[in-house]
Amino acid sequence: MDEIRSSLDNIMARFNDSITHSAPKKLVFDRLSMSFNDDSVVTVPKKRRINDNDSLNGSLNTSLNASNTSLSNSFNDPAGPWQTRKLRAELIETKAVVAQLQDQLAQQAKDQMAAVAHAEAKADALKEQCDYTSAKLLDLEKQLQVARKREHSARQEINRAQAEIEEQKLKFESALTQAAQEKLQLEDDAREVQHCISNELSEYKRMSERLELQLDANKNELNRIRRRHDEYKANSASYDKLQMDYELQQQSLDTANARIKELEFEIQSYNDWKEVTKTSQARLLSVPELQAEVDRLRTHNKHLNTLIGDKLLLEEKVHDYKTRLDREEGARAEAAALQVKLTHVEQELKEWIKVAQDHCLANTLVSPLALRTRIEQLLQDDIVRVAEKGSADAESKKTQAALLELQQQCAVYLKNIEDMNVVLKRHKSFRERLQRKLLIVCKERDFYKQLLENFDKDMTMTNASTAEMTNDMQVRYRVEVLERTLTGYKEMCSTLEREMQTMRQQESLNEPPVNDNGYDGVKRELDTLRLENDRLRRRKDELELELEHRCLRGDFNMGNYKVLHMSENPASEAYEATKNVVEKLQAEIVRLKHRNKKLEDESEQTQTGGGGGGGLTMNFKEVNQLRAELESANGRLKKMKECFKAASKEFRDVCYMLLGYRIDRVGSNSHYRISSMYAESPDDYLSISVNESNCLALLESPYSQTLKPAIDQQLAANNSFPAFFAALTLELFQRATVTIT
Amino acid sequence: MSTAQATKNCITLKGSAQIIVEYLKYGINSILFQRGIYPAENFDNTQQYGLTILMSKDPKIMSFLQNVLTQTEEWLSKNMINKISMVITNAHTKEVLECWDFKMQAEAGDGVEAGDPSKQTSSKQLSRIQNEIRDVMRQISATVSYLPLLDCICTFDVMIHTLQNTEIPAQWNETGAVFIQNAQAVQLRSFSTGLQKVDTVVNYKMSS
Repeated sequence: MDEIRSSLDNIMARFNDSITHSAPKKLVFDRLSMSFNDDSVVTVPKKRRINDNDSLNGSLNTSLNASNTSLSNSFNDPAGPWQTRKLRAELIETKAVVAQLQDQLAQQAKDQMAAVAHAEAKADALKEQCDYTSAKLLDLEKQLQVARKREHSARQEINRAQAEIEEQKLKFESALTQAAQEKLQLEDDAREVQHCISNELSEYKRMSERLELQLDANKNELNRIRRRHDEYKANSASYDKLQMDYELQQQSLDTANARIKELEFEIQSYNDWKEVTKTSQARLLSVPELQAEVDRLRTHNKHLNTLIGDKLLLEEKVHDYKTRLDREEGARAEAAALQVKLTHVEQELKEWIKVAQDHCLANTLVSPLALRTRIEQLLQDDIVRVAEKGSADAESKKTQAALLELQQQCAVYLKNIEDMNVVLKRHKSFRERLQRKLLIVCKERDFYKQLLENFDKDMTMTNASTAEMTNDMQVRYRVEVLERTLTGYKEMCSTLEREMQTMRQQESLNEPPVNDNGYDGVKRELDTLRLENDRLRRRKDELELELEHRCLRGDFNMGNYKVLHMSENPASEAYEATKNVVEKLQAEIVRLKHRNKKLEDESEQTQTGGGGGGGLTMNFKEVNQLRAELESANGRLKKMKECFKAASKEFRDVCYMLLGYRIDRVGSNSHYRISSMYAESPDDYLSISVNESNCLALLESPYSQTLKPAIDQQLAANNSFPAFFAALTLELFQRATVTIT
Repeated sequence: MSTAQATKNCITLKGSAQIIVEYLKYGINSILFQRGIYPAENFDNTQQYGLTILMSKDPKIMSFLQNVLTQTEEWLSKNMINKISMVITNAHTKEVLECWDFKMQAEAGDGVEAGDPSKQTSSKQLSRIQNEIRDVMRQISATVSYLPLLDCICTFDVMIHTLQNTEIPAQWNETGAVFIQNAQAVQLRSFSTGLQKVDTVVNYKMSS
């Protein structure tokens, strides 16, 4: 810092020196300038310069004047022209010198100005530097102070840390001593333990010796046991063998038993047999007798058989005769009937023969053949007649149809005639009208012609009378006009005449058929044409029918062919399939209808209970409505629950605060836990239960044991829970306040 | 057809019947496809007469056509058939919507088989006949453009118009000719084997 300050001081000193040095320079300069224009009065350089110039001019003027005077003087002077010339040259020279000097002067002034500006700028820069350095100096001083403070704090910390270290050192030393003590103690312990261990070891050694002895004994015993085990094994093998033998023997015993039983059975059967043989022997003894009887019975039997055979034979014969008799009787009756029939038939035959004789020709033999031929002939005739009648009927029908048609045609023609007559009348009236018109037109034409002639006459008259020239122009103009009208009239006339001619032609065209003779001809022609038309129309209908027939059949002469197809073709299969499908669908429809009906009935039943409605949609609506109601009800319930909970909590709190007891319900059955506000611990509570007869009962608990005297006094004596609890509260309260005070 | 050609390069009545039956087989299958009587996925491509023809894959239809055509061939070889009709009907209403008639006309051949003057032969080239058949098949394909749309479930049957004295074989029975109300008929090209000429006519119901 000191160094920096010293350097700064140096710089400042140098600067001041420069300033102090520059001042004399300036002075020098001033002096120089002063020296340069000695005689001028100096206030401001510029002015001065102007003044200088003025002065110069003045001097010049004066010099000029002087020269002039000199010149004038020279004129006056007797010195001569050469001298004057020389003087003039000198004058010019001096003037140039003066100008040169003036230029130099200006140059020097400029230089001086520049130098001054430069110096000023330098001074400013140095000043700025000085400010900057001073600011820096202040900063550095501040930093120095901060650093000093830090150093101080660091020193304090070091002191503190040294104190701590010493403290810790003390602590560690004490710990060291303690540890040494512990170590000594541990060494003592270890020694003790070693002693103990050595003692135990010797004991264990002794025990092991003892155990070894025991082991030897055990080994011996084991060997013995092994030997015995082997013996037992052998024994068991022999025992197994024995058992096997025993089983074998048992089996043999069983078989023997079975055999014995069999034998017993045989013996019994043998006894039976014996009895049987005895009885059979007895029977055998009686065999000859029996045989004799058998023979007798056989003969008897034979006899009976023969008797039976005879009887059967006789019965058969009787039956035969009976049937024969019946048949005979039937035949006899038939014969009688036949005879009756025969007579009847004979009579009929006679009648027939008579008929035949009547119908047959006289000379021919009367026979059925002839009669038949006659009948056939008659039938044929009949057929012919029927056919004729049919044809006649058909013809009559046809004629009737034709008649009807003709009548219709007749009616049509009559109508046509009437129409024609009407047309004719109209034509006639039309003709009359035309003729009248024609007359009118003719009259008009005549009139126009007359008018024209009149005009012509007028013209000639005017041409003749008007000789004077004054009216000539007027007249000419009039003539022209009249001529034009005339041509117009002529044209009109010609058109009218043409029209007339055309009218006449039309009349001539209309005229010929009007006469009666022509009308008939036309009528005839019309009829023929109409007939032709009908004929052609019928032909056309026929042809159309034929065409249609052809189109439908596809061909002619289909009768000559027969149409065959396979019985199992895709079409029939498809028809069957569609039929099946349709049947199935119809069955389905019926089923669904039933179902529908059932459902409808059900829905009606359900709806009658609920007041009816518009079917399923109504149900949906109702369901939705009910759901919404349910939701709102649930929400309300929830809200109510919360409300009730809050109220009950508040109630419980108030009760607790007022009466000093919290009553909690424990479990589902009516147990209650009662804890006092002033209880010493949360475990101090009383359990009370409500039994069926709504009586309270205090249950025993560890806490109730401690309140034995109070219980005895209040509950047992007074049987009052409120009193008991009040007493308890008072007691607990007093205890609590006592402990607090 | 092949045997007849191989031996003598001439067509007998039997060969002619074979050619016609082959045409009927392809023609009927083509109509079944073109008219959309059965769905298109039930058909397979086959090359015949230089054309791609779609043949039905349905075994029922195949066996039916096989049975019908063998019988047809037998009758054709005896010239007993006037015409063969393929009838397309509405499966529900049994209404006849279209009837394809293949009319058969016997023609006099230009040759006689050796030893039997009643057996005539034709020397028409098989390729020419097949070209004629191809033209008819093309026309059958083209009919779709003007025939009315069959917009219902349809089915078909083949009916054969034979002579009155024909015996009815087993599984066959007689039926009536079909009529189409308000019908319109279009005759397609004909082809001939030299012994038999076949005209193909389609009758269809006017849509309105």
